[in-house]
Amino acid sequence: MSSVSPAKLPSRAKLPSLEGRGWGSVRQRRPKLRAGKSLAALAYPPLAPPFQGGVWLALALFLTLSACDRETRDPRGKPLPETKPSADALDPRPAAYENNAFQIAQGQRYFAWMNCSGCHFHGGGGIGPPLMDGAWRYGGSIQQIADSILDGRPNGMPSFKNKITQAQAWQLAAFVRSLSAQQGKDKLWSRGDEMSNREPPTLQDREPVAPTTPEADQAKPR
Amino acid sequence: MRGSRSFSLNSSPGFPGEGDRAKRGGGVLRSQRGPSTRLRLVPLPCECRGGFKRSITLLAPLLLTACDGIQSATGGDGWHGERFNSLFTLFMAVTGIAYLLVLAFLAAAVLRRRGEARYEEAGSEAPGERGITRTLIGWTAFIVAGLTILTIGSYFADRGAARAAAAPALEIRVTANQWWWDVEYVGATPQKTVRTANELHLPVGVPAHIILASNDVIHSFWIPNLAGKQDMIPGRVLDATLTPKHIGEYRGQCAEYCGIQHAHMALDVKVESRADFQRWRAAQLMPARLPATPLQKAGYTYFMSRECSACHAIAGTPASAQVAPDLTHVASRKTIAAGTLPMTRGHLYGWVADPQGPKPGNNMPYIGLEPAELHAVVAYLESLK
Amino acid sequence: MRDVTQRPKRSLIAATAAAAALLVIPALALQQSPEPRPAPPPAPAAPPPTEDGQWTMPSKDYSSTRYSGLDQINRDTVRRLRATVNVATGNLRGHEAAPLVVGATMFIVTPYPNDVYALDLTRPGAPVKWHFSPGPVPQSQGVACCDVVNRGGVYADGRLFFNTLDGQTIALDAASGKQVWRTQLADINKGETITMAPLVADGKVLVGNSGGEFGVRGWLAALDSGSGALVWKAYSTGPDKDVLIGPGFKPFYAMDQGKDLGVNSWPGEQWKIGGGTVWGWISYDPKLKMIYYGTGNPGPWNPHQRPGDNKWTTGVFARDVATGEARWFYQTNPHDLYDHDDINEQILLDLPVGGRVRPVLVRPSRNGFMYVIDRVTGQVYSADPYGYINSARGVDLKTGRLIPVPAKEPKEGRVVRGVCPAAPGAKDWNPSAYSPRTGLIYVPHINLCMDQGAMDANYIAGTPYVGMDVKMYAGPGGNRGVLTAWDPVRRRKAWEIREDLPLWSGALATAGDLVFYGTMDGWFKAVDATDGRLIWQVRLDSGIISQPVSYRGPDGRQYIAVMSGVGGWSGAIVSAGLDPRDPTSALGFVNAMRDLPQRSKAGGRLYVFGLPS
Repeated sequence: MSSVSPAKLPSRAKLPSLEGRGWGSVRQRRPKLRAGKSLAALAYPPLAPPFQGGVWLALALFLTLSACDRETRDPRGKPLPETKPSADALDPRPAAYENNAFQIAQGQRYFAWMNCSGCHFHGGGGIGPPLMDGAWRYGGSIQQIADSILDGRPNGMPSFKNKITQAQAWQLAAFVRSLSAQQGKDKLWSRGDEMSNREPPTLQDREPVAPTTPEADQAKPR
Repeated sequence: MRGSRSFSLNSSPGFPGEGDRAKRGGGVLRSQRGPSTRLRLVPLPCECRGGFKRSITLLAPLLLTACDGIQSATGGDGWHGERFNSLFTLFMAVTGIAYLLVLAFLAAAVLRRRGEARYEEAGSEAPGERGITRTLIGWTAFIVAGLTILTIGSYFADRGAARAAAAPALEIRVTANQWWWDVEYVGATPQKTVRTANELHLPVGVPAHIILASNDVIHSFWIPNLAGKQDMIPGRVLDATLTPKHIGEYRGQCAEYCGIQHAHMALDVKVESRADFQRWRAAQLMPARLPATPLQKAGYTYFMSRECSACHAIAGTPASAQVAPDLTHVASRKTIAAGTLPMTRGHLYGWVADPQGPKPGNNMPYIGLEPAELHAVVAYLESLK
Repeated sequence: MRDVTQRPKRSLIAATAAAAALLVIPALALQQSPEPRPAPPPAPAAPPPTEDGQWTMPSKDYSSTRYSGLDQINRDTVRRLRATVNVATGNLRGHEAAPLVVGATMFIVTPYPNDVYALDLTRPGAPVKWHFSPGPVPQSQGVACCDVVNRGGVYADGRLFFNTLDGQTIALDAASGKQVWRTQLADINKGETITMAPLVADGKVLVGNSGGEFGVRGWLAALDSGSGALVWKAYSTGPDKDVLIGPGFKPFYAMDQGKDLGVNSWPGEQWKIGGGTVWGWISYDPKLKMIYYGTGNPGPWNPHQRPGDNKWTTGVFARDVATGEARWFYQTNPHDLYDHDDINEQILLDLPVGGRVRPVLVRPSRNGFMYVIDRVTGQVYSADPYGYINSARGVDLKTGRLIPVPAKEPKEGRVVRGVCPAAPGAKDWNPSAYSPRTGLIYVPHINLCMDQGAMDANYIAGTPYVGMDVKMYAGPGGNRGVLTAWDPVRRRKAWEIREDLPLWSGALATAGDLVFYGTMDGWFKAVDATDGRLIWQVRLDSGIISQPVSYRGPDGRQYIAVMSGVGGWSGAIVSAGLDPRDPTSALGFVNAMRDLPQRSKAGGRLYVFGLPS
């Protein structure tokens, strides 16, 4: 649902939200509402006649449905191919793992389990280079990051092939991209699982992906 | 309403539908007009209970299913469960009497109001105000006595529990994960520490101090037969004490919704004699058996060189990962995947081949073993008695 | 912090005063302290027979004094120091090594890729005599915790010995630069690296491993200096026979006595991945034939995963140099909670304790206590705080145990705040110097506190094994570095200099009554050894985290040499280009170093300073 994301709809400032308002008070103020009306209709008071009733209901339904894709998962589904099916075919994996809050969250779990955070910490780097700045030594696409994880890289990145599965590597790659806010704001995590207090990527501008080298990293102004 | 005798309240009729209900056989409400508001319990004649009795007979087994077997909510198999059950019974009795009395007073008040009206019409003062004063004094005395009984009762229950917890003979750390239990028996020296998963062995009659923690979200530790629930909260260390009274097998269950596989997060509990427990503990302390057959050896090699050893540990081998259940003696356990499947060869095959089948969404990935690899890994795991 | 900009002006007056003071040093010393100083200052255990003007090992001598007996450069002349050599090493990572000077040749070892250069000191500009590239495996960079440093080589019997990051010990012919032997000791696939400078004693090259953050098992190995063959290897964990504990092992305290403590003080088989690496300094007492060294932190950092005392990590070993057999052990941090590796230098002194001169070792430990330990018995005579400590109440000298503060113990799943000293301790690897002229130990150290949050670490061979989120910041006072002059006899600090940035360079004491050290923003300083007044300073191209040395050149004049090149754990934000938006970067050190990129850029040069003719 990239075409219509909640972010593109009227801002929440204009639309009173459900949270922060007790149900009692809603009922009090709109005593005539009958049971069976949509919750959204309760929350969004009519602004002008054309927006009354049905339109709002449809919009709310649409909004609800747009959230369905956000966490699509299919643990029972057929495993995706491990490599691109053929040269001219479209690789199905970027679409499956990128821009999906569930895959990013799983990647976040493995980022701690597989000790990625031991070298890259929570994106700032240490033993390995930083991952939150959009500068990439070996390419910043989800495919290139998954390759870095699985095959390793010559200057110290170990290969995780046979330590994690292909699917886990892609989930990790999706999470790694979230560290520099590469996905839509609604897919990113707004609070980390870890105890670090780095700002979540939802508060970060998307970092432009650019190539770099270790020497360039040293010279970079911070 | 499990007893053989039923009671009905004597009160005035007049509530809509009451008469109809009486006719349907729900109970008998006898009118007893007059100034007396005294409560009377009248045994229901058996022949009048008809349909109600039938429905009770049908409902009772349903209710009782929760009071029996390996996962019983009435907790009769543990010292703590029993203590708190007795306390619960005491609370039920005191508060039940209070409840009945309140209802009686309510009824009396309603009747009195009517009586008063009659006297008002007659222009005279109602008799029996002295009776009310006496009743109120009695009521206050009952409240004081009741609260005292409850306070004393809970004080002793609580002290008893604290005493048992103060001198635990056994210390066990249980850490909850999505969706399995990490179980660690703290030894006299660190070297005597036993680590297992999803299975809790307890010696009968020995107070065991359970230290509870969580690695991810809020879980709740509940072995209904033995004791009440205790939450497991990330970043907090809580505890519980279990003193099992009877030898037997029980089932614990996560009692706080913790994600997609919350329902498949069970804990097998085995209460054994002290000798059996010591034997089990000594066996668990041993490092894993070395693979003997060529097939087991192939399984060992696969395990150590592939994804398995990135998450699981097997004592005595290079596999020392800590994010998934310890498999040192996995074949000695009763079930697979936190009580999801019985530990049989067939289920082990199924689990290793496709862990997302029986427990979708769990964190063990689909690896896609070839048949030969699957045979080998299962043979190796089966050898880890 | 002392105001750097004000210093030079004031130092004019100071220098005049110092010149006058030079004539009356004993009087000045008396004036400074109300009580009379007892007799002469304690002597180092094994002073070099006479000052030969060379610098053959990073610690200068077996007693690890880092004291040069040369005095041409003194409080009067130091202001005339000029750079005589200024060459780039061609490497921009953290330069922690000490340059070595043997005769008319200087040897330097660079950080990874550990190139070795021999420089000809007889010719102007010190051109390269020979160059050796050991070619370590690039993958080793991925298992080097906190920058790919090297702490230098050592010269003995015509050979130069040094270690490579990927775990090799190499002997070169010092004259030609040809390789004599090379022994692979560490396995990077297990997370082992080698960053330490070896020590040659009794015909053996002593080398230990690094990798305490990777779940390795620590060891110290002795190689035959002639052939490179392994003579003995003593592990820091495991059964007594692996630790080389035999009948001759007599630790002073009951807590260190018992059979197979290296196994029994660990849960299960954690000792196999339990750390106790040996990446710091070794001292040698030629009279007793004993070596002294400390062991690193237990792994993982999260203490909940390793209940028990975790022997023999974070403690001091005394071993027989010939066989490696342990003589005694003292554990400074039983069941270490804060990564307080105990690998710091031990200065061997003969010190008056309780009215008698005793053979002792003095070591400023990571945990913030200055230990004075008997070299023969392992008894702790005193342990006094030399930095700010709130994570321990002291050391119980009866049992030898550190007294912890329960409120500061790490807890799983939550953050414990304000733990001092932080993970790098009150002082990290960078070594102190001791001047027998002033009787003071000059300790370059740090003043950092931290927030710590523990979580379960997962062991996968060759990947980190830590289980701790750390965030560091300046300790009380706001200054991150301190140079403390410690009086080991009176057991108190004589004076201190507060530095804004952490001090990550070693100290050098000279007979000219000067103490040299460098700061991470590139100031190379000389202070008065008696009172700490800044006399001379110069700004180098990059921050200084190396060990300054002093030598007599082929022209007979005294020189001071130091390498610049910021990096290491503290400087990784610059040398590895880390992102300070994540406060936990580089195990939390980045949070304390946010301003470093503005104050120093990456670099790597060798500077030699001398007096103009």
